[in-house]
Amino acid sequence: MHVDYWAHVKQSNAGRAGLILVCLLVGVAVLAPVLSPWDPGAYTGAIFSPPGRDHWLGTNDVGQDIWAQLLFGARTSLAVGCGAALLATLLSVLIGGTAGLLGGLYDRFWMRAVDALLVIPPVIPAILVAAYLRPNLAVTVILLAAILWPGEARVVRAQILSLKERAPVAAARTFGAGWGHILVRHLIPELGAVLVAVFVQGVRRAVFLEAGLSFLGIGDPAVESWGRMMQHALRFTYLDVWKWWLLPPGLALSLTLGAFALLGFALETVFHPRLRR
Amino acid sequence: MVRDRPFATYVLAVFVILSLNFILPRLMPGDPLLAIYGEEALLAMSPELKEELVRRFSLDRSLSAQFLAYLAALFRGDLGHSYYFSAPVSRVLLGFLPWTLLLTGVALCLCAALGVVLGIESGARRGRPQDAVLLSSALFLGGFPDFFAGTLLLLFFGVTLGVAPLAGALTPYAGKAGLSLVLDVLHHLTLPLLTLVVVRVGPFYLLTRNTMVTTLGEAFILTARAKGCPDRTVRYRHAGRHSLLPVVTAAGLQYAHLITGALFVEMVFSYPGMGTLLYRALLTRDYPLIQGILLTAALAVLTVNFLLELVYVKVDPRVVRAR
Amino acid sequence: MLEIRNLWVSYGGLPVLRDVSLTLARGESLAVVGESGAGKTTLGLSILGLVEGECRGEILWRGNNLLALSEEELRRLRGREIAMVFQNVETALHPLYAVCDQVAEAMVVHGLGKGEAADRALALLERVGLGPDRARAYPHQLSGGEKQRALLALALANDPEVLVLDEPTASLDPRTKGEIIGLLLEMVKDRVTLVITHDLAAAARLAGQMAVLYAGRLVEAGPAADLMRDPRHPYTRGLLRAYPHLATTKDLQGIPGRMEHGVEGCPFHPRCTQRLEVCAVRVPSPVPAGGRMLACHRGGIVPLLEVRGIAKSFGPFRLLRGVDLTLYEGETLALVGESGSGKTTLARIVMGLTGADEGEILLEGQKIEKRTPDFYARVQMVFQQPGESLSHRLNVLQAVKEPLDVQQRGTEEERLSVVKRVLAEVELPCDDGFLKKYPHQLSGGEVQRVAIARALVLDPKLLIADEPTAALDASVQAKVLKLLLDLQEKRGLAILFITHDLAVARKVSDRVAVMLEGRIVEEGPTWEVLANPEHPLTRSLLTWAGPQLTSAWARSGFRPAHGEFSGPDRPSAGAASSR
Repeated sequence: MHVDYWAHVKQSNAGRAGLILVCLLVGVAVLAPVLSPWDPGAYTGAIFSPPGRDHWLGTNDVGQDIWAQLLFGARTSLAVGCGAALLATLLSVLIGGTAGLLGGLYDRFWMRAVDALLVIPPVIPAILVAAYLRPNLAVTVILLAAILWPGEARVVRAQILSLKERAPVAAARTFGAGWGHILVRHLIPELGAVLVAVFVQGVRRAVFLEAGLSFLGIGDPAVESWGRMMQHALRFTYLDVWKWWLLPPGLALSLTLGAFALLGFALETVFHPRLRR
Repeated sequence: MVRDRPFATYVLAVFVILSLNFILPRLMPGDPLLAIYGEEALLAMSPELKEELVRRFSLDRSLSAQFLAYLAALFRGDLGHSYYFSAPVSRVLLGFLPWTLLLTGVALCLCAALGVVLGIESGARRGRPQDAVLLSSALFLGGFPDFFAGTLLLLFFGVTLGVAPLAGALTPYAGKAGLSLVLDVLHHLTLPLLTLVVVRVGPFYLLTRNTMVTTLGEAFILTARAKGCPDRTVRYRHAGRHSLLPVVTAAGLQYAHLITGALFVEMVFSYPGMGTLLYRALLTRDYPLIQGILLTAALAVLTVNFLLELVYVKVDPRVVRAR
Repeated sequence: MLEIRNLWVSYGGLPVLRDVSLTLARGESLAVVGESGAGKTTLGLSILGLVEGECRGEILWRGNNLLALSEEELRRLRGREIAMVFQNVETALHPLYAVCDQVAEAMVVHGLGKGEAADRALALLERVGLGPDRARAYPHQLSGGEKQRALLALALANDPEVLVLDEPTASLDPRTKGEIIGLLLEMVKDRVTLVITHDLAAAARLAGQMAVLYAGRLVEAGPAADLMRDPRHPYTRGLLRAYPHLATTKDLQGIPGRMEHGVEGCPFHPRCTQRLEVCAVRVPSPVPAGGRMLACHRGGIVPLLEVRGIAKSFGPFRLLRGVDLTLYEGETLALVGESGSGKTTLARIVMGLTGADEGEILLEGQKIEKRTPDFYARVQMVFQQPGESLSHRLNVLQAVKEPLDVQQRGTEEERLSVVKRVLAEVELPCDDGFLKKYPHQLSGGEVQRVAIARALVLDPKLLIADEPTAALDASVQAKVLKLLLDLQEKRGLAILFITHDLAVARKVSDRVAVMLEGRIVEEGPTWEVLANPEHPLTRSLLTWAGPQLTSAWARSGFRPAHGEFSGPDRPSAGAASSR
């Protein structure tokens, strides 16, 4: 059945909301230097100053501009999120896709491995590795991708298995087509929609993990991160400062996660056609 | 969703974690003892203690010998020595673990119960206002990471309104017992529990709702209505029961997220569970403690998953457990 | 008694059932048949109030209009007084509960205690053929037949008065089907039963009455055996022609076109071969006609040609001694008899080539005295020896165009295009090269086809084919016969097929009339006559036709002989032993 997923997303309320938010987010991240008057790392004002004309969200405990940190934090979240999700998706296609296509011992081996990896809660190895290695941004991306790919690989493999059995593929095989042709002509185009859905979910989980790691204090100290902002701000709850230091990154994080969740929800009908109205 | 995992999968998973625990400190350059215990700890140790540890963990021998020594120690229950608490890790954990189990256990039950009931009602009213409201709320709330939600609740109910305690699981030094002890525990449990449930009920609700929508289109629902079953019976006994199946499967995965969430939430509320412990361990670079906490958390998740699988076999007569 | 009055059901504004009225009496089963999309299941569901659309009209039972009851009142009736046996689809039974529990639930929901319900459930399941260990099993552990029995037990749990069976034997293998049908026959005694099915054979076994639905409307209703034997509505006939049963003899024919909802006037008229203008304008209501309800502006399938009491003598020799025949629109009547029995003479009399001594011919109800061109526009003939009926002086084009020339229809160009069209219909080339050929340049099969084309050019309603394939090879014969059947399907052509070859008649005709010594001695639906021949001549014809057609009665020692048939004339109502 031909379904135009893009149109479907645009039509659903959840999809539209998610798309708008994501676009907003990307805009903010890209335009961060333009939108903030101060450099986020510079000590530009008095400490704990409330929001004012100079500093729209006030300053933190060492006098850095919170608004700037907020905007640059968006960059981090998106960069890590998309980077990790992209890498994870590639890995999942590589492993899950080949496992589904080739079957046999290769498939069984990888599925055992994936099953075992899936049972481990993702945060735990993340914290473990981060605690020891104190990674920078690049290593964080790789770490997160390594944690995310098993879940995605399962989905990709399941899709490939079901696509393999469909009539157009069977028909192509009766023409004598090899797996290469089938992959390019039949499987990958169908897979595209699924991969987008899987990617979106991956971004959401990666953003969450990155924020969590920073919140725990084991993220990359060189970059701005919403999680880290929240961790710092939490130490000063006895002051009024939490209103403009803690809430904005928290809300920004929630909004980001929510946006990708909405998109993911709208795309979920890729997997469950009966949910389509 | 994997419905039926052979026991070997769990063994393999544990092995992976143990290996991770083992490899990581040894990947770092320099003295392995330094890597295992960290700089601060090492400074506090006497040379005799250091020698003792080197011998016990075979640190001067090959990797495979070290691994065997490591495994042997684990079997003895020896998870290492926490420098911060100056006590064996296992003893420290035992003091903090029960609170986490209480929190996550109750949270899992509440999330499941609430999520399923809301999901059933929502699924039965698909497209109508109640469903739309519930759906948007779930998606909205699901966007909040646990630590932020916890912080918000703490600040609102604790700091601003002052109705909830700001820390701890018990009122310290109050010497309560019996019913008042239970109430006290519940009082302290409320906010962290509320945080976890609010954030983590979403997936249960969504899964149930979506399964309900598909289930309601099945033929046996029409059969049930033709029998004259009232609406409530059809919704719960027929559709709801059928929608439970994927929820049981998903509960295992959700528990993993719950533990994750609990780690953060306990930190925020200074609830004396593994989360607070972890935070302190990370701050002080108490590596054995970190490893011990994470290993325990992973084991808890694996155990719950395994138990849920047994439950699933009871719930679905079509499945025969494969070995 | 359950009475459905003027029921209209629509889904989102699109009507699925239109103005359906039916009555079901206690102890009587009514089978509702029709193709998918006709609205059968909706009819069943509407009795239970489970239709998710808008319903208008009345369903009267025990003095209540079921459509006007509240949901709660309906719920109390469902499963208790009115129950439905569902089709055995994969998930018709709840996969997670044991079968006996599901049956017990039907009773518990209506107030019975759990213990007693459980006992009664087991007893009921035993009655339908599921022993205690099968009864306690889960649906996925049961076979298709067992699941169907369980669904039956489910419906019977509270001994309902009204039972609706929805495709109760679909997807079952023949033996299980037979067993289930036997079980159903027992269970529906003394109840009001509605059987919904597209399987006509099962319908005939299960029900005494039958109603045919087309595009949401009732087209014919009456005793099931009568409808199957002698369908009076064109759609019913088409349906029967398309569904083989073991006794079917004629080749399968379809109905041209497709079912469309929302057609103006009679819903079947776009596909009907005997439609009039009024059929496209007004909807025919079902009216009583000969023991049935029939919805047709023309009163059912019209008798096209009626031959009454035709007698003809040649000198002292009485060839035809009072022949009575009726040929209906769109059907093939095979006229069989030995050589010299008068078949061709009869054909010539109908065509006006020979006069009759007594009797009359009616075409579409009107007595024919003289044969006008109008008559020939409606009745055409294909002769025995194809080569001879075509003049060797005329080429294909001229031969086929001749009738048009004679009747002066249209311009020369129009005539040419008609010729080409008709040649295409009989699957002959219509290029100039072929048109210029002469009969002696064509093969036997081609010549015969040209003759048929010529007969079609005036667009007749009735074609008399006198031994059209006697002179042809077998493979060519097959093609020509198929062609005739195709024409019948597409144009609604009625064919009077004269032959002495019973085997051919069997494959080609709906009804057969056996002629002996100038009279029709046996007549009826082909499959019936050939399965149970009554007249000795018919039996002999069958035996002579080939050993395969001999049946038990012949094996019991019957020896066909000559001259044994001119016994006392068999008296009967009408002319012959007709059924």
